[in-house]
Amino acid sequence: MAQAGSIVSPDEGNEKQPLGLLLVAIPVLLIVWLVIWPIISAVIDTLWRSDGHGHVGFDASSYVFFFTDTYSLNNLALTLWTTGICAALLLICCLPIALYLRFGRGRITGYVQTLAILPLFVPSIILAYAFIRVLGPNGFYDIVLHGLGLPKLRTPYLTPWGPVIGLVWDNIPLTVLILLSGLGSVKDQAVEAARDVGANRLQVLRHIIMPTISNSILVALSFAVLGIFSAFTLPYLLGPASPEMMGPFMQRTFDDVNDPVAAVTQAVISFAFCILFGLFYVRSVARNQGRQP
Amino acid sequence: MTAITATSQKAPISSLATIRTKADLAGITLAIILTLAVIVPLLVVALWAFSEVWRYPHLLPQQFGLRFWNQTLSRDDVWDALGLSLRLSTVVVAVAAVICLPASYAFSRMRFFGRDTLFLSFLAAHAFPKFGLLVTIAAIFLRLDLIGTFWGVALIQLVNILMFMIWIPVAAFQAIDKRMEEAARDVGAGPLRVFWSITLPQAAPTIIAALLLSFVTTFYETDGAWLIGAPEIRTTPVLMIGFINNEMVIQYGAVLSVLLWVPSAIALIFARRFIGGDAFARGFGG
Repeated sequence: MAQAGSIVSPDEGNEKQPLGLLLVAIPVLLIVWLVIWPIISAVIDTLWRSDGHGHVGFDASSYVFFFTDTYSLNNLALTLWTTGICAALLLICCLPIALYLRFGRGRITGYVQTLAILPLFVPSIILAYAFIRVLGPNGFYDIVLHGLGLPKLRTPYLTPWGPVIGLVWDNIPLTVLILLSGLGSVKDQAVEAARDVGANRLQVLRHIIMPTISNSILVALSFAVLGIFSAFTLPYLLGPASPEMMGPFMQRTFDDVNDPVAAVTQAVISFAFCILFGLFYVRSVARNQGRQP
Repeated sequence: MTAITATSQKAPISSLATIRTKADLAGITLAIILTLAVIVPLLVVALWAFSEVWRYPHLLPQQFGLRFWNQTLSRDDVWDALGLSLRLSTVVVAVAAVICLPASYAFSRMRFFGRDTLFLSFLAAHAFPKFGLLVTIAAIFLRLDLIGTFWGVALIQLVNILMFMIWIPVAAFQAIDKRMEEAARDVGAGPLRVFWSITLPQAAPTIIAALLLSFVTTFYETDGAWLIGAPEIRTTPVLMIGFINNEMVIQYGAVLSVLLWVPSAIALIFARRFIGGDAFARGFGG
């Protein structure tokens, strides 16, 4: 998913139109068939349903059920809570790292950068396993605390904090990279000038740095929200069984309860909650594409 | 560079020194926190893989050994899952290469109707909550009897890497100096010959990186394989979920983790050499 640069103006030469369209046809059709169509079909299938006598008509009962069912609503609430907490924690963790990587001149910048990017190379399934070994009951940090004569940890494993910790860990690299890319456009001269007229660090951060990177912060958060809202593996392995996040909830409804209509309804509701973030993400990337040389 | 010059001209040396020590203190704090949060968990997994006995509350395993490597590697389900994952990833990446590389060449070099819109359409796969999208695809696969099949999982994983496989090669093709291609054409080379001898060799490192990245992403893809494939199609991550949920012997999961993680880490670090960190982030709109 590296950046591709804008599409530069192509050869004015003798390339024929149909050949280009033909070459891109298969991947584009795949996107239409396996992304665009399922989404449209999901909305239609959950709202226009057969009533059992062959009559197909408008029927929002699966949505009515979702929004009147306490269990579904609890799952939605847990998902919103987890997403919000994760977004806040990500910002709190990643902004200092990104600021340090941008402005720090110490010798350990390289080490910090490597560690901040490393989770990108650890598949979430291995992360889940490592989490249990370290923070689970009698895990490594319990051992260390015991060695220091301190009481045991109240393990976050199988509580709502399990997925929170896992998802934050998983999302640190991309958040740091996106923030760092935004910090690249903060001018050193602007920071120095502000300091010369007596601004302290917080003032520089608030008046010089934050306005410049506010867009990057929004992009980083949109990206994280899109990933976290319907995350599956980490909440499934680290979270509580009830209430559960939307990801495991949808999976269970589809596979175990065997109720595709309810599962698809849950998916459409997830789309609705994330649509603003999705649109913002697409708009930012599209604008970025246009801006590159 | 500009920062250093600006500072030394305008600020007294002592204040610069303070900034440096403070930055280093901040750096040391961050380094310690990140080591505890990132390195320690991975080290603990590695320790578990090589431990034969490790009882609470001993800080280190009481007995090291390779016994559980032998046991893990003699399990049929491990080899089946590894074989299936390798086959699946190879097929998915090969199909992606065949359909995406010509497409990305067309996007970077040709002019046709709706090109910019079609190029951005690949974003759609990443603009929705992913598992929600998977569930809607699963509903369609249900009607096509693709649930629990090799090709059902392969299709899901193909969609997952389409954007990598289009956008990264497009960047590679665009980075090539067109004057070289024109020069070759001027001395009489045909279009295919130009592509084969000039364009492809220059784009190759980035394209290989994209292939590698896609291969590793597919190998570890868990959500789609679990929703669409399990229990019939048991890829390595799906097997790993089983180890985490139901396996009493802790070491099996640890051995599988080490086994799986080391080669992919090497591959991904190699891939990142070709795809710069900043460019990587800009692709996400940062």
